[in-house]
Amino acid sequence: MDVLLNEDEATLRSTTREFLEAECPPSLVRQMEKDAKGYPESLWQKVAEMGWQGMALPEKYGGLDLPLVQLGLILEEVGRAVAPLPLHSTVVAALTIAKDGSEAQRAAILPEVAKGQTILTWAFTEQDPRLLPETIHTQAVADGKDFVINGTKLFVDNFAAAERCLVVCRTAPASSDNAGLSLFLVDTKSPGISHTALVTLAKDRQSEVVFRDVRIPGSNLIGELNQGAPIVERMLDRATALLCAQMLGATRKDAEMAIEYAKYREAFGQPIGAFQSIQHICADMIIWIDGGSLLTYEALWKMDQGLPASVEVSQAKAFCNEKCEAVVRFSQIIHGGIGFMMELDLHLWFRRVSAWTMRLGTTYEHRARIARALLDFPGRVVLGRPVPVVPE
Amino acid sequence: MDFGYTPEQEALRREVRAFIAEHITPEVIVEMEGHNEGLLGVSLGTSRGPAVRELFGKIHARGWTGISYPKEYGGQGSDRLSQYIVEEEFARANVAIGLTGTGAPAILAAGTEEQKRHYVPRLISGEFRFAQGFTEPRGGADLASLQCRAVRDGDEYVINGQKMYTSGAHYCTHIYLMARTDPDAPKHKGISVFVFPMDTPGITVRPLWTIQNDPEAPTRTTYGQSRTNETFFDDVRVPKTALLGKENEGWTVGTLGLNLDRVGAARYLISVLRDEDIINWVKENRLGGYSPADNPAIRDKLAELWIEAQVCRLMTMRSMSIVERGGHFSYEGSAEKVWAPEHGVRTTEAITQMLGPYAQLLNGSPRAVEKGIFAHNLMGAFQSGINHGSTQVMRDQVARRGLGLPRGKKG
Repeated sequence: MDVLLNEDEATLRSTTREFLEAECPPSLVRQMEKDAKGYPESLWQKVAEMGWQGMALPEKYGGLDLPLVQLGLILEEVGRAVAPLPLHSTVVAALTIAKDGSEAQRAAILPEVAKGQTILTWAFTEQDPRLLPETIHTQAVADGKDFVINGTKLFVDNFAAAERCLVVCRTAPASSDNAGLSLFLVDTKSPGISHTALVTLAKDRQSEVVFRDVRIPGSNLIGELNQGAPIVERMLDRATALLCAQMLGATRKDAEMAIEYAKYREAFGQPIGAFQSIQHICADMIIWIDGGSLLTYEALWKMDQGLPASVEVSQAKAFCNEKCEAVVRFSQIIHGGIGFMMELDLHLWFRRVSAWTMRLGTTYEHRARIARALLDFPGRVVLGRPVPVVPE
Repeated sequence: MDFGYTPEQEALRREVRAFIAEHITPEVIVEMEGHNEGLLGVSLGTSRGPAVRELFGKIHARGWTGISYPKEYGGQGSDRLSQYIVEEEFARANVAIGLTGTGAPAILAAGTEEQKRHYVPRLISGEFRFAQGFTEPRGGADLASLQCRAVRDGDEYVINGQKMYTSGAHYCTHIYLMARTDPDAPKHKGISVFVFPMDTPGITVRPLWTIQNDPEAPTRTTYGQSRTNETFFDDVRVPKTALLGKENEGWTVGTLGLNLDRVGAARYLISVLRDEDIINWVKENRLGGYSPADNPAIRDKLAELWIEAQVCRLMTMRSMSIVERGGHFSYEGSAEKVWAPEHGVRTTEAITQMLGPYAQLLNGSPRAVEKGIFAHNLMGAFQSGINHGSTQVMRDQVARRGLGLPRGKKG
């Protein structure tokens, strides 16, 4: 037990931070909000040279085979810089291919990802935004050796930039012991796919994607037919924990800006940071960020150990959703009027953190998942020991 | 980052659990119920009956009471986390064996070789117990404003003054006292720490009764001590060897121990045990035909509190990690002392709205839930945010020491 960063982790954090401070100033973030592609290709190539896309992928496919904890540290710094990179969607899909894909799928996709030559994403959510199997109505129907997909996905991250997308489809009606889902690897340029940009608070790139008789080869099925639900659950858990890391990086930077502002902005004859009303808000901000960080890295660490981590993931996201939003709101309040002027960079963080709290599970959804684990299975619950494991 | 325990630590935990299963006998439990001094007190002084005393002999024989203390002073020289594991397991069995109080760590850090050899082994064995004499009637959270005087007179100091909330002073063997030795110095710079026997002439102990123990609270209630004290010092003469550390450097000596006292298994558990209690209770119980565990609002709140409790645990692990690396807290101990006690209050208050009128029933009442622990706890949980540094003072420390925010003008 040592929950502080070890030497390698501290070095990774500081080199990543220095790199992004030099390469990704707020001016670039503003520029990319108006850019057609939404990310700078040169920066995407540079981070590939540093190994970010392949950080947690197997060495065999050009990755570095490092733990998710270290990938989390990278995403935390990406969040800190609010770097406009399609990294989160790419690594989430790539990790699923690495863990649950076939040898042929891994060999075809992962080396390209590690080199920065392929952007990936994944599509789960439909009109009912909850992260539950029963919300999936997009159909994939077998036709000879192919599957034909019909349906509509919402809030698909970086779809316009991505070459491939992992699409969660219904291949059988849900039954008591099988959710009837399957996961497919889809070329985003396939005939029958159309997509429309959504206009978002974070000014990031999300799409509504319509699949109309989209034909894909049967070899693009990830895992077994109708056995997609646990694969998807693990994918969403990894995605959620990594998004928490990204949120926390952005939130901590946002809080630091408010704390620095409070040290020199004077009112009533002293820096506003000398007033206890401000000091106590700042103390709470840092306590909340630290708390979210401990929850998040424990979840990532448990996944690295191969231990059940779904409760830990939900703990982290439910906490971060509320606390990160509160921190960036207080940061706005400490800045006063100037805080909501377009010319100050603060809103770049405020808008993104707020948007990320809404993705990959609301506070209520994650708490409901925790409550199920705590209350609906026999056995005493003891803090610090695993809760009764929820069956798939 | 490593969020797991080593195989050796896991083995130690199993050993302690097996010991508890074997030795916390019905006789021990009856004695503890009959002499409730709360989570912090069952091991102490007057509350020790013969079965509890025998139990402590066995615990001491295993070396667990001083597990992380150096071997030359009667400890086992083990790591801080092993001590945490032992404390946690015993605290869950309602037996406090912790030595994380303010005395022993401060003596190890600031004492002379003679003081270390005299006090530490006897603190570990339970022969000595320190009562803490810090707070004064006019001081409260502003500890450094203390007025109790110690005046040098030849080879002695003469002590005059009054201390408040000297818990255990009526059964402890020694007082661990902060007194002013230089009234002309700035308030933090004129303080010294002394350790001397409670039977020194001139000491008077008067009881102060708390609101929480009427009627007697069940053993595992947060705090739950029925009695604390005010202690008067009238021309108390102590030898100069009673001084701990250098004269006028007592602020550093005293706060070092306080920082360590704000973290650890006992501090963590007094803030989170009600979370486990209420979850396990609603899983197995109904009120008439009504199951609170099926109420969506209660389910959401329980999950929220559970997450907060995990943050308490993880902040304790962070403090353990810092201590284990030999580092000092910048703000982390204070952060934990804000988060955990306030969480304990949020849980205790939320439970009142989950159980409604049942949560008002005290121990001994017909229909009381879990011996009235939730009602007794409502009178105790907030104390944790006052004792050992109020959460408001702790937030000041996080802001100033942790974040570098400036001190404000007075008035």
